[in-house]
This record gives sequence, C-alpha cells and structure tokens, in this order.
Amino acid sequence: MIRYLSSRLFVFIIAFFLLTVFTFSLNFFFPGDPVTNMTGVRTFSDYYPVISEIRGADKNIAFQYINYMQNLLSGNWGASLSSGDYVFEHTYQHLFASLELIVGALVLAVLIGVPSGIFAATQFRGPIDKGVISLAMAGYSIPVFWLAQLLILFFAVKLDWLPITGQINPLYGIAPQSGSILIDIVISDSDYKAAALQDALNHLILPVIILSIMPMMLLLRLMRNATQDMLQKPYVKAARARGLNEFQVLIKHAVPNATQSVLQQVPLIFSLLLSNSIVIESIFNWPGIGNWLVRAIFERDFPVIQACVLIIALTILLFNLVVDLYRGWRFPIVRQE
Amino acid sequence: MTKAFSLLISATTILLSGCEPGTEEVTPLSEGIIYCSEGNPDTFNPQLVTSGTTVDATAAQLYDRLIDYDAEKQAFVPALAESWEPLDNGTRYRFYLREGVEFHSTDYFTPTREFNAEDVRFSFNRWLDETSLYHNVGGSYPFFSATGLDKLIQKVVKVDEMTVDIVLNNADSSFLANLATDFAIVLSAEYAQLLSVKDMPYLIDQKPIGTGPYRFESFRKDVLIRYTKHPDYWREGPGIKQLVYSITPNANKRMLKLVTGECDIIPYPLISELQALNRDDIMVTNEVSPNVSFWAFNTKKPPFDDPLVRQALSHAINRQAIIDTIYYGNAELARSILPPTSWAYDNQGIQYDYNPEKARKLLEEAGNSELSINIWAMPVQRVYNPNARRMAELMQSDLAQVGVNARIVSYEWNTFRRRLSRGEHDTVLIGWYADNADPDNFFRPLLSCAAVATGGNRANWCHPGFDQLLYEAIATTNANERKALYQSAQHILNQQLPLLPIAHSRRYQAQKKSVRGVQLPPYGGINFRLATKVTTAEESEQ
Repeated sequence: MIRYLSSRLFVFIIAFFLLTVFTFSLNFFFPGDPVTNMTGVRTFSDYYPVISEIRGADKNIAFQYINYMQNLLSGNWGASLSSGDYVFEHTYQHLFASLELIVGALVLAVLIGVPSGIFAATQFRGPIDKGVISLAMAGYSIPVFWLAQLLILFFAVKLDWLPITGQINPLYGIAPQSGSILIDIVISDSDYKAAALQDALNHLILPVIILSIMPMMLLLRLMRNATQDMLQKPYVKAARARGLNEFQVLIKHAVPNATQSVLQQVPLIFSLLLSNSIVIESIFNWPGIGNWLVRAIFERDFPVIQACVLIIALTILLFNLVVDLYRGWRFPIVRQE
Repeated sequence: MTKAFSLLISATTILLSGCEPGTEEVTPLSEGIIYCSEGNPDTFNPQLVTSGTTVDATAAQLYDRLIDYDAEKQAFVPALAESWEPLDNGTRYRFYLREGVEFHSTDYFTPTREFNAEDVRFSFNRWLDETSLYHNVGGSYPFFSATGLDKLIQKVVKVDEMTVDIVLNNADSSFLANLATDFAIVLSAEYAQLLSVKDMPYLIDQKPIGTGPYRFESFRKDVLIRYTKHPDYWREGPGIKQLVYSITPNANKRMLKLVTGECDIIPYPLISELQALNRDDIMVTNEVSPNVSFWAFNTKKPPFDDPLVRQALSHAINRQAIIDTIYYGNAELARSILPPTSWAYDNQGIQYDYNPEKARKLLEEAGNSELSINIWAMPVQRVYNPNARRMAELMQSDLAQVGVNARIVSYEWNTFRRRLSRGEHDTVLIGWYADNADPDNFFRPLLSCAAVATGGNRANWCHPGFDQLLYEAIATTNANERKALYQSAQHILNQQLPLLPIAHSRRYQAQKKSVRGVQLPPYGGINFRLATKVTTAEESEQ
C-alpha cells in the first residue's frame, strides 16, 4: 500500500509541476507584459518597478519560476486586471460555487445512474434493458446547452416554477462568504433562512439536473455493462449454485466487483462534469469558476484566466488522486497492477 | 439498494418541495425591487462619465442636484436649493440652500453635520478647479468639458453657511438646464476630507456618499449593485427598503428574467420580441425620448473632408428601410439632429432622400466614383440604436449599389470609444441622448470645435461660423432670437452634413405591474425615488 501510495503521490506531484510550468509560461505567451500578467499590476502603475524588481523580471527564467511558485503557494495570485480585486480571495468563492453544482450533479448522477444500470443488467437484452439503454444513448448525445434551453423554456417560462439565473433572489441579501450558497445562508444572520434556503434550492434544481444528465447516462451504461460482465463470471454461477437468490447474488457478488471497473471511469466523468459546468454556469449566470473564466477570456483578464486554468486542472488532479487512493485501498487488485 | 432508493426518494421530495410557486411573498421580496440593468457602472460618480448605464445606476438614486427639471411642467423646480435668483445681468446666480438635508450614514462613513454650502463648493470645484485636491482623482469630466460648463463658471463662492453664488464668465441661457442634469450632483465635502486624511481619495467614487433616496450597500462586478433606502431622506422617498441592480447584459435573458419574475423592471427589451411580454402581469412602456442616431463622417480624413462626398453617401442610404428593419417602425426618420419635439426644431432644409442615381452622380462630380470606406458600428445596444451592426450591414448593401465598398468595423465598447476619440474611423454609427431640455445639448457636446478636443465630436468637424452661432445662441435669453440662431445652425449642418441623422427612437422599458412610481424622465436616467411595490392583495383591491 505504501509503495502504491508513494507512486500515486509522485505522479500527482509531477503533474502539478508540469501544470505550474504551463501556467507560468502562459504569462509569457499572453500578449502584454509578463509581470502584469502575473500580478495584475500595470506597467504605468507606481508599484510596477517595485513589483518587477521583486518578481525578478530581469533575472533568469529559473529564478522567476521559483519566485512564481513561492507566490503561488503563499496565495499571492495577483489582482484582477478588470476589477482590481485579489484573485486568490475570489478563486475559492468561485470554486465553491462551482463545486456546489458539480457535487450536486455527481450525487444525482450516481443515485439514479447506478441503480438503473444495475437494473438494466438484470434485464439483459430484455425489452426494458433495450428501452433503458436507448434512453441512455439519447440522454448522452443531447448537447447540454440545448437541453438547458429546452428545460428553461418548459419549467421556467411555460410553467413558471423555477428561476433561471444566479444562486438566489438577490433581495434576500445573503452576502457571499464561502461561495457555496447553501453554506452562506446557514452562516448568515438573515431572518428568513428557511425561505432563502428554499429559494436557493429552486435555483439549484435546473442547473444540477441538466449538468447531471450526461454523467448519469454514462454511469448507467458503464454500470450495466460491468454488472452484466460480472453476472457471466463463473463465481456468480457458483453463488447461484449455492442457492443464493438473484438479489443476493447481485448485491453481494456482482455489484461490488462491477463498481471497481466503473470507479476507474469516475475521474473521467468528473472532468466531463467540470467542462460541462462551464457551459451551464454561463447559461445560468452561476457565479462559479467556469463563468468567471469565460468572462475573463472576453475581458483579457490574464491573472484571472490563469487562476481559473490552474484551479480547474488542480481540482481534476486532486479528484483523480483521491479516487486512485480509494481504489487502491478498497480493491487490492488495483495495487498489484 | 433499498437505502439508495429511499435516499433518492427523499432527495426528490426535498427538491420538488421547493418547486411549488410561492403563494405568499416573503417580506424581503415584497420590500425590494430588482432592476435588471444592461451593464456594469464605470464608477459611482456621474460627474466622471456620460455613459447612460452609469447614470441610470447612480445619479437619481444616490445623489441630489441643486435644482431639478420637471418635464411635465417644463420648469425648473427646487431640490437642494430652495430658491435661486440671477444677479448682475445673469452672470451671477445666487442659490439659497435647503436646511436639514442629511447625507447617507453607512458602515464606512457617519456624517457629523448636515448639508451646507461647503458641499456645493466642493462638488463643483471637483470638476471646475484644476488645483482642487480631488480634481485629478478620477481624471476627466466629459459632460462639463463638452457643454463648456467648466469654462462658463468662473468660481463658486460661499456667501454664508446656506447661500452659494455661482459666478459666470458670461450670461448663458443653458446654464440652469445644465445644472439640472444628472451630472451636476452634490457630494459630501466632509467625506472627501475624511478620505484624503486616510490617503484613500479614490474611494469617493467607489464607495459613494450622497444625499439621495438610496444609499450604497455593495457592488459585485457583473453580478449586482445593492442599495438600501436612505431613512432620513429630506423629501418623499421610496416605499421599498431595498433596490437591487441585477446586471444582465443579454437582452434576451433580461426578458426571460422578467417573465420568470427574477426582474421587476428591465430596460431595452428587444423590440422585435415585444409580443413575448404580452402577459397579464407585465407592462411595456415607451417614452418619446430626446435622442438621435446618426452616421458621422470623419471630416479630418479625405475624401470625407469634401461635403459633396458626404452628401452623395447620404443619398445612397435608404433610411426608411433602416427604420422599418432595425427599429421595427418604433422610431421617426430624422430630418435634423434635433428631435421634432424640441422648440428649436427645423426641417426646412434639403432632404437627403434615398436616391442612388443622384448619389452616383454626386460621387462622380467629386471625383470619387471608386470608393472604399469603413463603417464603425458600435457593439452595444443603445436607446437610439438597438442594433448598429445590423444597421451597418444594411448600409453596406445600399452603398454597394452606388459602387462604394464598405467594411464593417467593431470593437469592445470601451476600446471602440477610445479609438473613436483618437479619430481612427472613416465613418461611424453612433448617436446621442440628450441630458437636458435645452437644444444646446444637441449641438455643443456633439459638433462644436471644443468637442473635437474632448473626443465628443465624432465627425471631427470644426466650423467657425457654426460655432459662432452656437455661442451667440447661448449668450441670449430671448427665446425667439435663440430659435432663429439654432435654425441657421441647422441650415449649416444640413448643407455641410458632417453627420447624417438617421432616427429618433423611443426608449422602451418593461416592468411588472406590481411596481409603481418608477420614473423615466425624458431627460436623464431612470429614477427610483418614488418606487413602491404593491402586493397581489392590494393590487386586486384596486
């Protein structure tokens, strides 16, 4: 386990190093002054000579990189070129707002996708299985932006049930602290917490559902195939021969082993979620990382672009690491591969 | 498995329980109004801008002026000044200030005194006096330099605590009108002093303090501005506790949000989609507003320095088609730069009707039968021009018919204006929205020689005779004389044609019927001073 752990950590660190080299070099690839791109301090500012000196703009590239890393690790990510706010302080707020959507969508996808996949496997090649699989194919192929428009039209415009932008009705006056609206409501001193929570949940429904459709369908198919594979294995036959009923065979023997191979795909699903969240956040004006990144690109706000790229990549790396470690701990076979 | 299913079921019930439309509105919702504005304000001080978005967001909400203009009565009415009188043949105006006016008390500033003459002097000197401490904070004052107010006012003198004299260099009949605009606001001198002691003077425009009906609470770029009611406002204030500007640049999304109830009021709905707002709880209003969209020729660049070329190009454009296609008929073909509602309006000049034959002939006469030009089309939607790019496309095909090859150019809005001021364009599609009722507001900020220097003169056109007429017109208070002078000025414009007026449009706005008292004065930005929200119960009683 220790060897596995250290090898995984090693891979993570290498990836992180390459990532920072990439974001560092972005400063030079972007048009304009590298120091400005790094810090958000413009060349005509009074502070520019000092900042430039500290960042070692005239020293060699290795010194600049080490300096960049020091600043990066101490949370000094510069200031936004368009608003002048410190990027780091806003990064985690945006990140938490995004994670609220992504975690919600992931949970929903697992809760619906996995059981339906197992169910479809038990009906292998039956009419129900075929129906579920065709539905999954359709759900997987619908582009998210189109699905979003469709559901907005139906649930928001036609039925007038759900709101379509932001995290909450701004009149509740919930100040952003963590960035995650549900947490912010709970820690706020609002007199209308219950109503605010309900309003926030209403705002969450559409984006979470739309975001979860694609991973849900993917999970469904993976789970169905994996479970079906397991059901063909001799040890399942043996279990049946021992007189276990179908349900016990499924839950005790087939599903746990099927999970192993599905789990391997989960990081992929997570990156899919993150990239789809950029589209969803733009459509629903969700103040998350994706929305922030898109706006920063339009405004050529390089410190923010960099922070977004870094944080998105880092989140994916970390998630990968966690899933790898979990698999290694849970399924010994993974450690031996 | 069963666990997973029960979890799933409980999760769905939680989610769905939030689904039912609320029958009763929670208090913060019934005591607040959401205005979905079309963009971020550049600053919280309208002295520094001419942008309509910033004015809508700040002027009438946060601040008061010495005097206001009542468009219905067509008269100036007292505001922070209780009364005023012209002295010394109209070269000195004395203002008697109102007692008991409180500045905003917020978590970043607590005023220790009420409004007095010091505040007026500070606010005016900020843009007037280049040596004043705050003059360079924030930079330029485009409205005041374009209208020449900074040249007109010699000094602001404090007579006593509650009396101020404004001394002019010469008599000017547009003075009071300019004073009643959204730009001539009053700031707190005490707050300014506090900030300069703290060495953070720039905060005066970011965390504003005024005397207006609302006070500043918070601003998140691209998300919202939050104002709360000023509890000690000196005159009748709003019936709501909170005013939120939800920043929504996309016009489609603004309309959607109005339908789903996430906005109470929206500016500039898409005119082509107005029938989508045909619902019981929504009301669409439009005001004839004093604006004009025009096609300005950069007269510093050949061949546009030749009036014949400008006339030829004007004959090539089918303006009626533009009005039908771009404005959906909700605009009037412009015969002059002044809208027909102005008292100085004149339409006696030559009419540049759509006539490709004549255009080609005139171009040949000018020796420019093969012409290649660019048209700069602004990237944003404005009340005077809902879709400049589409308009440019129509003009492109019109021009192609007379052998002129046009290329459409567009940049992000701030870049666009900056490059325009540098005169990089051949021709540009832009417009003007009047700040006050005086016809002068259509001429000097747009076409005077002084406006060439400030970048407001998009045609870079400087005509001494024309300028002379403008200065004569503001030097007299005799309405008939002024009218005659402005008509001669319009004649010169009509012949010289530094710009081709295209349309005078209407400003559209859509709102929930439950919102009352929001004013859209013809001159200036939206005003929420008397805004209230009626609940559904109250509504049915009425």
